[in-house]
Amino acid sequence: MSFGRPPRCLFCSFSRAAANGPRVPRRQFQLSAAQFADKPNKKPVEKGVTLKQLSENMKPEDFKPYTKKEKAYLKKHYTPEQLAAIEAGEAAIDPKDMAEQFRIRKDPMKLMYLDDFSVVEPGIDKHVRAPESNSDYNATLKTEEDFIDDFAKFISEMPEKATVSDWVRFAEQNRMTIGKEENELNPNSSLVPDLFQPGETIDGPSDKPHNYYDVSRTPNQVAKEDKEASEALKVLMKNTGYSASEIASLKTKTLVRKSVVNQTRLGKIRSEYVLTVAGNGNGLLGIGEGKSQEPPDANIQAVYRAIRNMKPVPRYENRTIFGDVTGKVGAVELKLMSRPPGFGLRCQSLIYEMCRAAGISDIAARVERARNPMNTVKAAYQALMSQRDPEEIARARGKKLVDVRKVYYSGRRN
Amino acid sequence: MSLVNLAHVCSHLNNATKARLGFTSIPNSNLHLKLCLALQNDGFISSVVRGGPEAPPMHNLLGIPTGHGEGYYVEPVTQINVASRRLWLGLKYWQSQPVLSKISMVSKPTRRLTIDVAGLREVVRGQKSGYIEGLRSPGESLYLSTDKGIKEARECVEKKLGGLVLCRVL
Repeated sequence: MSFGRPPRCLFCSFSRAAANGPRVPRRQFQLSAAQFADKPNKKPVEKGVTLKQLSENMKPEDFKPYTKKEKAYLKKHYTPEQLAAIEAGEAAIDPKDMAEQFRIRKDPMKLMYLDDFSVVEPGIDKHVRAPESNSDYNATLKTEEDFIDDFAKFISEMPEKATVSDWVRFAEQNRMTIGKEENELNPNSSLVPDLFQPGETIDGPSDKPHNYYDVSRTPNQVAKEDKEASEALKVLMKNTGYSASEIASLKTKTLVRKSVVNQTRLGKIRSEYVLTVAGNGNGLLGIGEGKSQEPPDANIQAVYRAIRNMKPVPRYENRTIFGDVTGKVGAVELKLMSRPPGFGLRCQSLIYEMCRAAGISDIAARVERARNPMNTVKAAYQALMSQRDPEEIARARGKKLVDVRKVYYSGRRN
Repeated sequence: MSLVNLAHVCSHLNNATKARLGFTSIPNSNLHLKLCLALQNDGFISSVVRGGPEAPPMHNLLGIPTGHGEGYYVEPVTQINVASRRLWLGLKYWQSQPVLSKISMVSKPTRRLTIDVAGLREVVRGQKSGYIEGLRSPGESLYLSTDKGIKEARECVEKKLGGLVLCRVL
């Protein structure tokens, strides 16, 4: 692998093959700029001149009016009215003033680096990803000539013993538009949402899904799976209202497993104790305990109870908790602390798994006194559930509350 | 300024809210009065009334002493009766939970803690400054005794005041 050309992210290039629009820089795994073969390397910035020196030596001559070439280039991008406005704006400011009043910004919103904003810097700027939608706005219907070309190609490539089926296949599979393939085969429209499930046609479910769709499970299969569910799973589905596939998609993790013994008159009876957490990765979390002499039974008990016990966990910005919370079960005392975006889950493994299941991504935790795994999980659950909602606090005190993070940047999150 | 009495008040308020009392009384002093008014201003308690050893008349609808209303008479504080005055506080609850769930002393009678504006800025942002822990839980408040009276930590930062840290309220 050449290091000049970085490895490409698979996920970013799903819909790349058919795209014929302008090339979008891919996501980089390294900070150096992407080197494309068809694009000359960017000239390195001249060294030896700092911004300070530049600002001190600024002269009116440095601010030149647009050349003819530049104007011609601008004409491609702007309407004549816009161009007139730009020229009027340029003329309104005296180059002498520009040279005198040029300052290095010192305000808190200043940029920490020099940039002309004309290129995407992989290390600093947001990644520009390939579009997710199938839509191709440049797609056009084929003209008669295009169809004639297609037909000519078909004739020229026709096998010697051509049958009617060859002709039918050509007539059915020949495309009607020029542009992205997905745009024609699976167009996206908010006005006309998908009427059919993947693999379904107007005549009913088809056994052979279309080439374009890559779907492993059809609704028919899902219904079949539901019928084959065990008795316990059926009860769970009835209680929770989830389908078997939804239950399968939940995140469950067995955190504690130990053997326990009951001493009876007849002797010791061993059984397996299992503690499991379940969550949907988006704000629901539950813990379940199971105990049985048969380990698989205990496992299923624990998982199903965890799913049945799932409750919403309050999350701030869907990533961390509201303030610091404490929990105590037995001798385990722990403290969960909210953290800024991008902090990660810096906590011990049990709490990490619980946060993963609940969809919390920024948290810190301290477990004090005892560190019994079972009680740690219970205490962490207690702590997560004991969060106080700021809105409720504000209403209780009769105060108005505003989250300034939502107020800055016009209330936009990202 | 007796912090011993203030510590007793804090404990008493904790006990009263845990017992879900509608109103309670604390000894009268200027420090207690100012702190209670600050708490009332921030919505932790519903009313503050200076009364005698007996509870002042209740509000007809609210069931707590509000200090005003029909036929209400305030006994003026004189040198004779000042020692028997008490502060009657109306406590608040929201969805079966006390609004003032925990009040604890930061300064102790044997160790008074003061803080300047720079330190207070850190505390308000949730960071520890000196011996004083940051305000990290939603709705957590810290009360300080300053030159301009008893104020909440955020108000002190706004007005650039430092002072003696009294208590932390959650």
